[in-house]
Amino acid sequence: MPLKNKLLVEVIWIVAVVAILSWAAVSNAAYLTSDQNYISNPVSSDPVGTVINVTGYQWAWAFQYPNGTITTDKLVLKANTTYTLVVNSKDVIHDFYIPAFGVQSYAVPGHPNQVTIEPMKAGTYIFECVEYCGELHYEMRGTVVVT
Amino acid sequence: MGFSFVLAVFGSTIAAIIAMVFLLYYFSMDYRRNLIGESASSLSREQSNLLLSRMRREISFSAFFMDDSKSIGIRYLITTVILFFIGGLAGVGMRISLWYPFPTFLTPIQYNILLTAHGTIMLYGFAVGSILALGYYLLPSANMIERDNLGIVNSIMYWFFLIGSLFIIFSRSTASWYFYYPLVDQLSIAGGGSYSFFTLIGVSLIQVAATVSSIIFLKMIFLDRNKSIPVSKISLFSWSIVSSAVLIITSAPVSTIANGYLIYDLINPVFFQGSSVLTYAILFWFWGHPLVYVAILPAFGLIYEMLPKYAGVPLYSYRAGVFSLLLLMVFSALVWGHHLFNSGLGTIWDLMFSTTSFIVVIPSAMSVFNWIATLWTARGIRLTVPMLFVLNGIIDFIIGGVVGVYSADVGLNAFIHGTYAITSHFHWIFIGMTAGMAFAAIYVLFPTLTGGRTYNVPLAKVHFYLNSVGTILMSGFWLVGGFEGMPRRVAGYFGIFQTYQDVAAIGGVILGIGFLIFLINFAYSAYQAPVMSNDNSLEGEVQPI
Repeated sequence: MPLKNKLLVEVIWIVAVVAILSWAAVSNAAYLTSDQNYISNPVSSDPVGTVINVTGYQWAWAFQYPNGTITTDKLVLKANTTYTLVVNSKDVIHDFYIPAFGVQSYAVPGHPNQVTIEPMKAGTYIFECVEYCGELHYEMRGTVVVT
Repeated sequence: MGFSFVLAVFGSTIAAIIAMVFLLYYFSMDYRRNLIGESASSLSREQSNLLLSRMRREISFSAFFMDDSKSIGIRYLITTVILFFIGGLAGVGMRISLWYPFPTFLTPIQYNILLTAHGTIMLYGFAVGSILALGYYLLPSANMIERDNLGIVNSIMYWFFLIGSLFIIFSRSTASWYFYYPLVDQLSIAGGGSYSFFTLIGVSLIQVAATVSSIIFLKMIFLDRNKSIPVSKISLFSWSIVSSAVLIITSAPVSTIANGYLIYDLINPVFFQGSSVLTYAILFWFWGHPLVYVAILPAFGLIYEMLPKYAGVPLYSYRAGVFSLLLLMVFSALVWGHHLFNSGLGTIWDLMFSTTSFIVVIPSAMSVFNWIATLWTARGIRLTVPMLFVLNGIIDFIIGGVVGVYSADVGLNAFIHGTYAITSHFHWIFIGMTAGMAFAAIYVLFPTLTGGRTYNVPLAKVHFYLNSVGTILMSGFWLVGGFEGMPRRVAGYFGIFQTYQDVAAIGGVILGIGFLIFLINFAYSAYQAPVMSNDNSLEGEVQPI
């Protein structure tokens, strides 16, 4: 059907799109400034909560807890506790990802990153490496056990 | 397959190319005379090239021995369809291997070879190649060019492109298409036994070919255009090529230089070892993201050209179209950092690139509005095969684009980065737009390309529906799986994702069958008797001689 006011229709559309995207961009910026800890960032001097050192290497993940114990391909956490994961790599770039928590952080050799998690519910979840890292990349995965 | 085998393949390729060069002179003169009569010998090469570039031209092997713009376009077209077949085969192979959660008929190394081959062949061979094909083929007629005097440069760049593609195919690299630094060093011949540097040389050759061709495209549009076409009447396809060409010229050389450093690093680590290991990733994505816009902007241009012709009305707004294409050119060069969210480059980095990623949606939305408004005001839409591809492309672009907006948000990006949601995002857009518009353009150009033959319409519709349904099954189920955390680039996966992978495998096979039907249709129809004039709506401006 023919449209009257062709320019007006187009302007309304663009204004609507700009409005929606501005809202998305502003809320994204607000999230970035207020909840920085939940985003992967370079290691800072004062991490929140319990620090767990996560080391990626070809092709497994090692978790070192504050008491010195090390587990491989299995991360054991307590519910309702705040943890800071310090993610590092021994060889190539990896990416530590827990889908259920919506958290991920690149493991860059020589450039440790940190990200904060706060498990709420007890259960068993999966984690994976989501940065391609060679032959057995797909085997760099395991479980997160929250008790 | 040892090194000597690869050497033999390259050796024979180079020998074949030398033989072709020897044949060039004899063949080109003969075929020229065949096309433009006895005047071929009296005209200079530039003058006869100009005549040939303004003619309607069909697919022929002789194109490989001629250097006018249309012949170069035909060369790229043939090559790129073959490369799409090879890349598609790699894709279908990966899909079938992922039927079970553990590697089945492909070992992880074979899977990684196919992964790298699929990515590099599809992006560099098909996406870049199809743009060069359509640019060389359509720009001379769209702009009624007055000069065609750089044929030898075009020809050399084509051979660069072909040799680059062969290097990529035979390299058996497992470094994935973005060659992140510490890994690619490890996957050298000494380390993992893969020939990554061949792929890097191939990619660099293709980048050089694309850069030089882009400069020639800009020359064709702005310097060689017929003076009867003012700037305000340049076709939207030409504007889309302008955007792509500027993006290639500004960003491809950066990647070519980074590849040069990286090739040197594979022999003697100097450049990236001392710096942060993310340096190569940053240099790569400076080109890697503009590349995906390079791949879709000409598809935008083709939709702008084809949609009004099948909708029976002029485009809703020519100015908004040009404006949107040029805005996309500017903004899409500024968003590449969003590939490196979560890598610890700091909050400022995240803030900057997520904001630009939101901004780049605005010109895309302007284009989508323009298409929908054209359809809204249409009188009598003709649902021909190209039009079906156009409509499907618009819908796929909207779905894929919305997933793209999600991933621009840093918080959501941490949730879907590296999962199949991202694979789904760009497969919606690449299959729907880049590949879909290439198919649509080939169907529109079919009578011209085959000298007045027509394609089998029912078969073509079968191709369209298989293509469409395959995309929906594959990308749709990837999207759902991705939201549950199904990781990309894996040769095996957690058993909980098997449903998504199986349906995606069926979708992938359907896509493959659809492409085979396209090839069969093309081969079958090209041997029928000519039944119609060689007119087509994309070359409407051309004056036949």
